[in-house]
Amino acid sequence: MVRPYAVKGRKRKKREVEVEEEEEEEEQSAEETHEEEEDEKTEIEEVEGEGKPDEASFELPGIPILPSNKKPKAGVIFVLERASLEVAKVGKTYQILNSDDHSNFLRKHNRNPADYRPDIVHQALLAILDSPLNKAGRLRALYVKTEKGVLFEVKPHVRMPRTFKRFCGVMLQLLQKLSITATSKREKLLRVIKNPVTRHLPVNSRKIGFSYSSEKLVQLRDYVAAASDDVDLVFVVGAMAHGKIDKEYTDDFISVSGYPLSAACCIGRICNALEEKWKIL
Amino acid sequence: MAKKKIEADMSKKKKKKKSTKKFLSASNAISMKSKKDNSSSNSNPFETIWSRRKFDILGKKRKGEERRIGLARSLSIQKRRKTLLKEYEQSGKSSVFMDKRIGEQNEALGEFDKAILRFQRERQSKLSKKSKFDLSDGEEEDFSAITRRDDFEDEMPLDDEDDDVVVNETEKNASIFNAANNPLESSLLEEDENKHKTKKQVMEEIILKSKFYKAQKVRDKEEDQHLLEQLDKDFTSLAESEALLSLTQPSKINSLKALLNKSNTKESEGFSALANRESSKQEQPDAYDRLVKEMVLDMRARPSDRIKTPEEIAQEERERLEQLEEERQKRMLEVDDSDDEDSEGGDDFNRPQPRKFKSVSGDDLGDSFSVGDELPKKRGWVDEILGSKVVGNLRNENADSSEDAESDHNDDDQDEDSEKDNIDEEGSSDDGENEEISGDVDGDMGNMLSMEDWEQSDDDDASNDFEEDEAIEEKIPRKVKDDNIKKIKIEKKDSPNARERNASRKTHPSKEGSLPFVIEAPNSLEELFLLLNNRSDAEVIEAINRIRAYNAIRLAAENRKKMQVFYGVLLQYFAVLANQKPLNFRLMNLLVKPLMEMSVETPYFAAICARQRILRIRTQFCEDIKNSEKSSWPSLKTLFLFRLWSMIFPCSDFRHVVMTPAILLMCEYLMRCPIISGRDIAVGSFLCNMVLSVTMQSRKFCPEALIFLQTLLMSVSETESVLHENSQWYYFTEIKILKPWLHIRGPVDDIDPLDFLLVMDMPADSLYFSSDSFRASVLVCVVETLRGFVNIYGELSSFPETFLPISTLMHKLVKQESIPDLLRDKMTDVAELIQKKVNEHQMLRRPLQMRKQKPMPIKLLNPKFEENFVKGRDYDPDRERAERKKLKKLIKSEAKGAARELRKDNYFLFEEKEKARSLLEDERAEKYGKALAFLQEQEHAFKSGQLGKVLLNLSRSFRSQQQCAPSLM
Repeated sequence: MVRPYAVKGRKRKKREVEVEEEEEEEEQSAEETHEEEEDEKTEIEEVEGEGKPDEASFELPGIPILPSNKKPKAGVIFVLERASLEVAKVGKTYQILNSDDHSNFLRKHNRNPADYRPDIVHQALLAILDSPLNKAGRLRALYVKTEKGVLFEVKPHVRMPRTFKRFCGVMLQLLQKLSITATSKREKLLRVIKNPVTRHLPVNSRKIGFSYSSEKLVQLRDYVAAASDDVDLVFVVGAMAHGKIDKEYTDDFISVSGYPLSAACCIGRICNALEEKWKIL
Repeated sequence: MAKKKIEADMSKKKKKKKSTKKFLSASNAISMKSKKDNSSSNSNPFETIWSRRKFDILGKKRKGEERRIGLARSLSIQKRRKTLLKEYEQSGKSSVFMDKRIGEQNEALGEFDKAILRFQRERQSKLSKKSKFDLSDGEEEDFSAITRRDDFEDEMPLDDEDDDVVVNETEKNASIFNAANNPLESSLLEEDENKHKTKKQVMEEIILKSKFYKAQKVRDKEEDQHLLEQLDKDFTSLAESEALLSLTQPSKINSLKALLNKSNTKESEGFSALANRESSKQEQPDAYDRLVKEMVLDMRARPSDRIKTPEEIAQEERERLEQLEEERQKRMLEVDDSDDEDSEGGDDFNRPQPRKFKSVSGDDLGDSFSVGDELPKKRGWVDEILGSKVVGNLRNENADSSEDAESDHNDDDQDEDSEKDNIDEEGSSDDGENEEISGDVDGDMGNMLSMEDWEQSDDDDASNDFEEDEAIEEKIPRKVKDDNIKKIKIEKKDSPNARERNASRKTHPSKEGSLPFVIEAPNSLEELFLLLNNRSDAEVIEAINRIRAYNAIRLAAENRKKMQVFYGVLLQYFAVLANQKPLNFRLMNLLVKPLMEMSVETPYFAAICARQRILRIRTQFCEDIKNSEKSSWPSLKTLFLFRLWSMIFPCSDFRHVVMTPAILLMCEYLMRCPIISGRDIAVGSFLCNMVLSVTMQSRKFCPEALIFLQTLLMSVSETESVLHENSQWYYFTEIKILKPWLHIRGPVDDIDPLDFLLVMDMPADSLYFSSDSFRASVLVCVVETLRGFVNIYGELSSFPETFLPISTLMHKLVKQESIPDLLRDKMTDVAELIQKKVNEHQMLRRPLQMRKQKPMPIKLLNPKFEENFVKGRDYDPDRERAERKKLKKLIKSEAKGAARELRKDNYFLFEEKEKARSLLEDERAEKYGKALAFLQEQEHAFKSGQLGKVLLNLSRSFRSQQQCAPSLM
């Protein structure tokens, strides 16, 4: 299959590589300035004969153009487990089932309407994607696994629909088409991926499950602060109305409050703790 | 085995029967077929496997979705066996056996069905036309006859049984048909039916109907009444309104009113007697009707005079003025003496009163008096600050008192200058009567020219240029001026003389007679002076108003030109007045009103005039400043002009053609002019005040005024150089020579407000300027101005920086002992005000900090999705492309399907061929084995020695084999 539409601009991967190269060059130039500062003037003249003399000469000594972030900052990954996103054919159209609109339909099919709560997922997603943590670019990835076992990935730079109805529209299309692209680009913002979720998680990661049922009640701030920076944190939060997540692949299983929390609230706590830790305002 | 087979057959047959039955009903054929197939080929376990569903979607119908792959495969193989295999088998054959028996082709038919079909065909062929002529067997005819007879017999009993019912039905049908044809009959029929049923019901219906009609009648009546009432009300309201009254004649108004009253009373009676009223109305011939009849005979209403346009009003004004002028001329001719005497006498006794009276009574144009009253109030606030010291009274009184003083002068000097007066009288009387500039106008001309000369010598040569622009005729009188130069000089030398002349001018109008009503706009200053000379202030204004009325721009296009020239002249006159030594302040105040109005009429010209003036003043100033000894501060004339412009033009404009340069010039004065004398301080403070008034609304920042005020405050202290070198204004204030100008040495009893005009009159080196009282009053003025500036600039963000040094300075000054208490209070007051505002500002101020670099959020992307997504639909906005894509997809799938079918066909054929081949192989192998076995046996027999004996058997068996062989082969 070839692409039906022409792709505008160059491909993303290439571009990123180039950007990195530029950054490297700039860093090099900055280093050069350091060297120049140390060396004598004659050497500066020699340097000027080389590749990037002009920029280097204009820079103030000692102040690099960009902050050098050689170490990639530690990121966060969220996994929403047991999200109740189920497509059903109601009447003639396909819809995401929810307890408000489809209670009769669900009863007819012998389902418990209380289990169908896509709004929880919506809130949780908004809580994650709208957090300053995400805005600062610290959210690595976001995965959602539905009750039916469909796993999909949400890119951190998605702007989720604010209204529930539109959210349902997106989810419906995602579960049928298996991917959602951006409006402007051809980039896939949401896509269904293969199970299990562990194959998508980085190797060096610490998976933390959250449950009210857990015996280990912790102060989240301290808990997060204790985690080392070079490990990616994976938070597994349940997005269902009742029950708890399976703790098969989680390294740790904690509860963060004495009260049962909603998914969005729990995520809010996590984000706040991380923002505090990383000083994101 | 056999039993089983039989059973199977039985079951098959049963099913067949069932299927045939159901086939007739023609429903669920497919499912039945599948069932049958299922049961028949139960042996294949793969056929039981169902296709797996990937997603179990709730609410999705299970139609066709559940495919059984194994079953489908076996079905397709069967199909191939019937079609492809047959074709394959046929391919090697030259002839084909065709089975054309009826029903053999159709798989679905059972034996019985086939038989039926065949039977039908047989019957049809018999019934066809051809068969008529066939010789038939007896049997068949009988059969047909029987059937026919059967049919007949069947029908007959039916008829017998249902006879009655059918008859009934036909009757009913007929009746319905009738009813449809003519409804009348039908209704009759119905009524008949009703009658047949009950008479009571009919009667009830009739009663109901009559009741209904009655009710309707009553309702109609009520509606009519309501309408009548409404109309009456409308009429009364109409009659009460003045419109109808104005249309009708007064005689009828009475009757109308009477009618109104009647109706009112009727209304008051209430609605209880509605019926009575109606009856009464009907009886008597209505008052209203009478009125209507009378009104028919009335005259129709005429349109009133239309509203006059401004042009027409101006025209009427002009005509009226002309008429008045004519009357005046007549009067003058007839009763000249008495008029003069009267006016003279009046003037002698009490001058201001008759003038006032005249201005009040003077028709429409007399509103000049009220203007005169208004204007002083307008200008009043400046004067309040610089309030007169000598007169020390209210503004209005001030004007009056000065007038009085002048009149006193008149009285005093009357005797002395009687001769001169006489001369003037002659000249002026001639003037008044003829209204022409005669050559022999000595005294007046001289006076006027002297005035002009004086002005020129006083301030600017440039004014000459201006005058040249305005009036070229001026050159001619200048020659005259040269002739009279001696006389002028004599007059000029002594100021008392000038006063006398002034006084004499005041007396003139009384002798000269009243002002002409029709006045042409003067073209030059001389003409204006000629006209206005020796007239009282009110008359001057009156004259100007009459000129304006007579030459109104709306009247004629050429009047614009005239008025423009007149405006220039008037402005000049204003300037000249400002330069007169005994300042006629009242007249100037009065002049402001017409000047303002005229500049509104000709705004462009007014702006040009003002700009020219400003330009000239500026050049003059530039020259003056070079000369360090001479005071370069603006003259009183310039100040008055500034004031006038600030009143004429809007000060609050961000950029204005006149006001912007005027303000700049004022600021320049404040900045550049060195303070040499005490008078300069007064002028400067006045300028500051004016700047304050100009910037009051727009809140423009004028640092020059503030600096000047600060320097003034600084000069209060005794030590000369108070200013720090690091002060930001050090460089500016350096120009001004810092002497303790305003240092108050001794105690001051009471601080009088400063009379600016008086101060201006004084010579620069007057002792008054070094007196403490002057200093104190100037300081009061300065502090008040400063307070104004503080109030204006309170909002500025740089307020603390601008005003804090001033407040500290004032705090310092307050500590001086010699400063009077009132001044001290004021100063502390202002300083506190500044401090308060500064505190407010500093409360709001935030410490300087590095500009925050907002962290860049990651760029968000919106997901693309459809409102009502339907799977499989192409949401490409380009319709054509979507269509093409769809077709391509179809082609592709079709091609794939075809390829798949072909592949499967090939597999099938290959399988079949393989089967045939393997069969052949097997046979061959078998034959080979048999032959081999025979030969081995033979060999064995030969070796064992039984050759002869066995030979017979062997030959037999061999023969039989040979016989069999061809069939096998």
